[in-house]
Amino acid sequence: MFLQQLVNGVTLGSTYSLIAIGFTLVLGLLNMLNIAHGDIFMFGAFLGLSLAMLGIPLYLALILAMLGAGILAIIIERLCFRPLRKAHFLMPLLSTIAFGILLQNVATQIWGSEPSRYPQTTEVTQFQLGPVLVSSIDILIVAISIFLMLGIDQFVRRTRFGRAMRATSEKAQTASLLGVDINRVIIFTFFTSGAMAGVAGVLTALVYLQITPFIGIRQGLIGMVAMVIGGVGNLRGAMIGGLMIGIIEVMNDAYFTASYRDIILFGLFLIFIVFKPEGLFGKKER
Amino acid sequence: MSVYTQGVVALMGINILMALSVYAIIMTDQVSLGNAGFMAIGAYTSAYLTVKMGMPIFPALIIGALTSSFIGFLIGIPLLRLEGLYFVMGTFGFGEVARTFFMNFEPTGGAYGFRGPVGATLPMIYGWVLALILFFWLLSHSRLGRSLDALRDDHEVARTIGLNVTVLKLGLFWLGSFVAGIAGGLYAHYMFYIESGNFHILVSAMAILYVILGGMYTFWGSVLGAVIFSILPEALRFMEDWRLSLYGAVLVLMMIFRPSGIISRQIVRNIEDWIGGIFRKASV
Repeated sequence: MFLQQLVNGVTLGSTYSLIAIGFTLVLGLLNMLNIAHGDIFMFGAFLGLSLAMLGIPLYLALILAMLGAGILAIIIERLCFRPLRKAHFLMPLLSTIAFGILLQNVATQIWGSEPSRYPQTTEVTQFQLGPVLVSSIDILIVAISIFLMLGIDQFVRRTRFGRAMRATSEKAQTASLLGVDINRVIIFTFFTSGAMAGVAGVLTALVYLQITPFIGIRQGLIGMVAMVIGGVGNLRGAMIGGLMIGIIEVMNDAYFTASYRDIILFGLFLIFIVFKPEGLFGKKER
Repeated sequence: MSVYTQGVVALMGINILMALSVYAIIMTDQVSLGNAGFMAIGAYTSAYLTVKMGMPIFPALIIGALTSSFIGFLIGIPLLRLEGLYFVMGTFGFGEVARTFFMNFEPTGGAYGFRGPVGATLPMIYGWVLALILFFWLLSHSRLGRSLDALRDDHEVARTIGLNVTVLKLGLFWLGSFVAGIAGGLYAHYMFYIESGNFHILVSAMAILYVILGGMYTFWGSVLGAVIFSILPEALRFMEDWRLSLYGAVLVLMMIFRPSGIISRQIVRNIEDWIGGIFRKASV
């Protein structure tokens, strides 16, 4: 029973990690919050849905949804961040809230506000591993998430462009003086952030099988919680934070009352932000 | 006035109060994304008092607001150590805890919501709006108001000229949560029914948007922002289904083209001089 819940928690948590990574990439780079991040997640899920409806195979739908969500994130950068780069940090925050309202309502117009059902395209097989039942979808989700997370982590740490990203997040002005094309770094970061949210959207929809234009709100907030717990701007922290949240959520539902889930998560968030704002793995600074 | 227009006007008044509650906190250069939480506390407390205890509406509103401001005071002590984005996230966390608390709190209906509070009228709502406008006007012309301007422009300078920055921040946070509590109480007694979904993070976010887009350096900006952006969704009704999408788009465009808001302090000063001029002429 416990092991089974742990598996479910890891599956759920890895989608949260993907969202949290996108949050932390943008926040680490610009020190600004993209509240519409959850709505990019929603948009990715619907894009995947529409493509799957057209009979496109899952892996292709996944890649296209990723691209679409990444491009959406670039549009958000263009409209909500670039014109306000020198403004008070509050301005992009509010602008992205407004953009989120826009996205939710556009999605309602396109896909309707009733929950949309994902077609059962992939054959689900269940594997019995000792006491634990693992479905092929669980494996798919965890495998894709781990692959993407390791990919980003290594990219940021080892490549030349990754170094430019780290330099920009350290001090944008200095990086620019040293010849880093800041705008390219920012656009690339937004694209990656959006693509991660898009993948998470499709993967989550595969598990829950139905989505609404408003699922992004909670998922985005949970991603933010995971980011803060892991330490703002810390990629590996965001991954672990997401997994922790997923496991806590599933364990709470299994052994406690499901309706207290969000009180516990947001309460934990509040405790962290007040007493340990640098998170579990962050730098000691505010 | 038709019932529909009355509803729009009443909500506009409540939005003005919510904007002023954000403005009170913004005066100390802190931005709260949790005011819907204070609104919820004020709404549920006062509604419980009138429906279950049979209390008249006025004292119930006050007790509701005192409860929400007391909680604001308590959580303000740790939260106000945070600055900038971290304070925003902290208050957001509080707002979500408050909302999910009421979603599960059985004595006030839990997920089914709470039915029954009645008695808020348009004159009552606008009585509060006028009283608070008068209060903020007096505040902005008082010594305390000048101190707050100094604090907002530069914390360090404010400290060196002997202002107690911590006390000012906490006091204004208390005031903000009090005003939000009043707004919540009036909302509950106007709508006859409340549920936790009424106090969603978007409510907090919209209140900040009114303040910013109206002009964050004078309380008139908050009032004007709340008025304009409460009417706008109604004015966009001809767009039918695309109305809220367009509303979002207008907000995004406003942020791009006029991030400093509609009214500045200078405009208010000019208008005040102009009105003052009329009175001087009249007396001569």
